[in-house]
Amino acid sequence: MAEPVPSSEPKPSAPVDESELVRDARRGDLAAYDELVKRYQERIYATIYHMTSNHEDANDLAQESFIKAFQALKSFKGGSSFYTWLYRIAVNKTINFLKQRKNRTHMSLNDMDFNAEHDPDLVALISEQTPRRAAGLTELKEKLNEALMKLSEPHRLVVVMHDVQGLSHEEIAEAADCNVGTVRSRLFYARQQLQGYLADYLKPT
Amino acid sequence: MKENENNFESLRRLLALKRHETPPPGYFENFSAKVTARIRAGEGGAAERQAIELPWLFRLLSAFESKPAFAGAFASALCMLLLVGIVFAERPDVASQPLVQTAQPDSPLAAVTPDSMEAMAKPVSLNSLSAGQPALIPISSTNPVFNSQSAGSWFASQGAMVQPVNFVLPGN
Repeated sequence: MAEPVPSSEPKPSAPVDESELVRDARRGDLAAYDELVKRYQERIYATIYHMTSNHEDANDLAQESFIKAFQALKSFKGGSSFYTWLYRIAVNKTINFLKQRKNRTHMSLNDMDFNAEHDPDLVALISEQTPRRAAGLTELKEKLNEALMKLSEPHRLVVVMHDVQGLSHEEIAEAADCNVGTVRSRLFYARQQLQGYLADYLKPT
Repeated sequence: MKENENNFESLRRLLALKRHETPPPGYFENFSAKVTARIRAGEGGAAERQAIELPWLFRLLSAFESKPAFAGAFASALCMLLLVGIVFAERPDVASQPLVQTAQPDSPLAAVTPDSMEAMAKPVSLNSLSAGQPALIPISSTNPVFNSQSAGSWFASQGAMVQPVNFVLPGN
């Protein structure tokens, strides 16, 4: 039996442990921090975007959150995961921003990506079973964002993190600095509110 | 609870559509580079330097940011302090206290009375000035700075310290 020939292809480098990256970043290693940013940029951006419904604001806030996290790395004790800690910074920054922005009415919405048009849930929602047959993708998207923006920041945050981003109650509780019971009650209340706002677009159960 | 979950199923599916809202293509390719560039450009460095110089202030500010209740409590405490200050300032017993310290009875200054002041403030002749004696500036209506009568009575009423001053003309 022939010996297996070692592959000439370079093996993909093993993912560096997060705690190692954090430790290096704390020492000022920007390459390590760059790696951390790459790991979490999409999730942090998405959370902020769904909270603000504005790409420019989400871009600024996401960048500022990462910069602030780098500055505060020395205060990170490691009691929670870096991701949760980072999330908390982003959430606090976003909520502060939204409080200041209360009076601003301008809201620019991003286009949905191409896959959205082929999403079975979406197709079902805008099909003949939907009460508002004429509701198109854009209208649905706008109504969805409008309904979310009607919620208070803590309620919106819980809905976004749980129903949009799929975080667990425990993770949300840690990021939002509250207990799991509060997360559950906020989620229930927020869903009830949304159900009222979006009644025309929801299929009867 | 399970029933509630079922009731919200349509809503959850509708909300899941938000996952399709994405930033412009290629946005995340440069994102981390922008962040690290901003850190290199000094945003991080400046803030870190400040944090080293004023760690207590930064800790306080970060506490305010993370705990709005703490910021509220701090603001309330400041308001209370201000109110207490205003209330104490308006109290009559505090306001009527003399602003000028009176002389102690055994102090040499206590010997200065309005009468002695008047005696000292008599006009002096030029002869006495030329003799090198300590001179007092004559008091007249053209000298608005000092008037023995009014000063004496006012100081007497206030019980304040009064110290006579001699002026020696230059060249004498």
